[in-house]
Amino acid sequence: MSRIGSAFKSFFAILFSGVLPDDVAREFGYAPKGAVKASTPAPSPASAQPAVGPADGAVQLLGILQRDGRLVDFLMEDISGADDEQVGAAVRTLQEQCREALQRYVRLAPVIDGVEGSFTKLESNDPAVVKLLGNVPATGKAPGGMLRHKGWRAEKVDLPALKPGRNNSVVAPAEVEIE
Amino acid sequence: MPRKYVIGIDLGTTNSALAWAAPPPDPRELSPVTLLGVPQLVNPGEVRDEDLLPSFLYIAGANDFPAGSLELPWPSADSSMVVGELARKRGTENARRLVSSAKSWLSHAGVDRTAPILPVSAPEGVTKVSPVDASRRYLEHLAAGWNAKMPEAPFAEQQVLVTVPASFDAVARELTLEAARKAGYQDPVLLEEPQAAFYAWIEKHPDWRERVQVGDLILVVDIGGGTTDFTLISVTEGAGELQLERVAVGEHILLGGDNIDLALARHLEQQLAGQGKKLDALQLNALWQQCRLAKERLLAEDANRGEHPVTILGKGTGLVGGTIKTKLLLEDVNRVLLDGFLPLVTSEEMPQRRRMGLAELGLPYAADAAITRHLARFLRQQAAASEHGSVRRGPSGLACPTHVLFNGGVLRSPVVRDRMIEALNNWLRAEGMAPIQPLLGEDLMHAVARGAAYYGMARAGRGVRIRGGIPRTYYVGIESAMPAVPGLPAPLKALAVAPFGMEEGTDLKIPAREFGLIVGEPAEFRFFNSATRKDDEPGALLDGIEEELEELSPVEVNLTGAAGEMVPVTLETVVTETGLLQLWCVARDGRRWKLEFNVREQVSR
Repeated sequence: MSRIGSAFKSFFAILFSGVLPDDVAREFGYAPKGAVKASTPAPSPASAQPAVGPADGAVQLLGILQRDGRLVDFLMEDISGADDEQVGAAVRTLQEQCREALQRYVRLAPVIDGVEGSFTKLESNDPAVVKLLGNVPATGKAPGGMLRHKGWRAEKVDLPALKPGRNNSVVAPAEVEIE
Repeated sequence: MPRKYVIGIDLGTTNSALAWAAPPPDPRELSPVTLLGVPQLVNPGEVRDEDLLPSFLYIAGANDFPAGSLELPWPSADSSMVVGELARKRGTENARRLVSSAKSWLSHAGVDRTAPILPVSAPEGVTKVSPVDASRRYLEHLAAGWNAKMPEAPFAEQQVLVTVPASFDAVARELTLEAARKAGYQDPVLLEEPQAAFYAWIEKHPDWRERVQVGDLILVVDIGGGTTDFTLISVTEGAGELQLERVAVGEHILLGGDNIDLALARHLEQQLAGQGKKLDALQLNALWQQCRLAKERLLAEDANRGEHPVTILGKGTGLVGGTIKTKLLLEDVNRVLLDGFLPLVTSEEMPQRRRMGLAELGLPYAADAAITRHLARFLRQQAAASEHGSVRRGPSGLACPTHVLFNGGVLRSPVVRDRMIEALNNWLRAEGMAPIQPLLGEDLMHAVARGAAYYGMARAGRGVRIRGGIPRTYYVGIESAMPAVPGLPAPLKALAVAPFGMEEGTDLKIPAREFGLIVGEPAEFRFFNSATRKDDEPGALLDGIEEELEELSPVEVNLTGAAGEMVPVTLETVVTETGLLQLWCVARDGRRWKLEFNVREQVSR
């Protein structure tokens, strides 16, 4: 379509019907209103590579806790035969490093910022946010109760961006030392 | 035109930092100084802002990192050169590709500092870099980091100050400037680190004039990761105002906090070896880090524990089973740190000197680990040097500071500071002087960068400037006119060409003396300097090369002219605004030759 042709066509289409003609809009990179789905072009070539999947973030966080604090090594090890002192020594270091790593990437805060063991009012009875225990009324709702556990909420997750197409299933690379 | 920022850069041996200020339009006012979080790779594929940029360069091979995981927020011409935290981390796993302490190499006269020699132990096939090039990359990274954070104010258009140790000689300063220029810095200005630390203190204490008085002598003790630097600043009066004058700087001492941590790690390693537990290089490295942590906790202000656990986790996936555990005792820290590095010595005790016929090619580390002995020597040297400025002295001639300002990570510990003060006070008491007063800086890790930014404002008339000039006297070697003796070179005399304290932006002519300058064929020039001979006037001729004179790299140049011509010249010395020393030879007919400090030649005598 010539530039003058497009210009005139657009001018009169907008003047009389208030919309940009579909073909002109597409040519200039605008998606026609309300017709986004219908006129979606062929799938993009990027989807040929495996995209970042939902599990990749979990593997990534495990990878971070392993890299900075050796958490996976610890959880996967059979420690039934190790004596308490040995476990204690390892955990002291591990816990400190894992906490540091966790705090760097995830900002955790209590769901209810109260004192455990004291009465707390409830603003919400959403079971995903507050779990009621004990003599729960038949309605499943209560205005408050004794705070047993403050809960945790991830206020902010700040993980480095993952690249699609990378081998995102590796939690920790094998280490091979050259003598 | 957009307003210019002032940027202070601390190009450190182990860490670098960038601080900046936006000077207000009124030149009498000052504005606060801010640290820049420097974006850098901290893990493969992860860029984060950190206040410090570890001064490490890792020369990555094809399989060091996953593809595409070294991308920075800015385009990089050579992504195999990793700078910062990731370089430091990966370097512990593959040390042979890691460049560290480039700055110490920059001041090492025994090597060609523009030749690709680092990493020293890199395997065949690794592209090596020169000490200048490594420094250039750190400076480039800082500039790129600035540009990424402040896109509206291009780095090249701002006023930039780069700090160097006070002990850097003219060649090391020149090389630092060369690195900065290669990194694209426009007219960078050099500033001595202890001065910068003092400026940072002034910045934090606008009432500083009430805290010091005329005649006071301020000792700046700067103990960084790898180097120790001393400076004396004297408080004088001029035009009814307090003035500050830097009156002495110490020698370059390659001794710092890393040595202390390593000493503690070695101590524990020996203990473990006694129990039959052997550590490999990686575990020793982990032990080193753990010792640093344990030391900092044991020496912290509010610490009251006698020991701190030190654990080396098992090597493979067997973490708990392979864990080696021991503990660092406070008494061991005190013994190693206080008795080994900070012994209470008298002010007459001088550090041991290394006198070895053969030494491994490497950095000239201090032979004596006792920082207090180096300090005693520094203050004692001021006794040998007679009056320059007003240095407060005791009866024995020892320089007696009234105040001490601490800088550097090691001195964050009150135990270390108290020990230094105790040692100083012992010396002062012996001289019949009042105890020293500590000046407390707040941010000992970033003070140098902050102070440099402050100085940038002070230069433009916004606040006090420390007067200093060049911290050494410089000499050129003159062959004496004597009959030749077989087998002996003609005796060399040293001509003072630049006096101690010669100020930036000034020049002088060596009076009433003409010398024969050989042009048209290669000629060698030898340069010397001394931090202790402060009274040699320009033109003073020393009959021999004395102990106090240190030789710089010799210069071989081929000056233009008819072959073999001997031109009678007079000498002129210039100290540029940026603190560079230049020596000019001027012929009667007006021809001029500049003698450049050349670093390609090695000192081999």
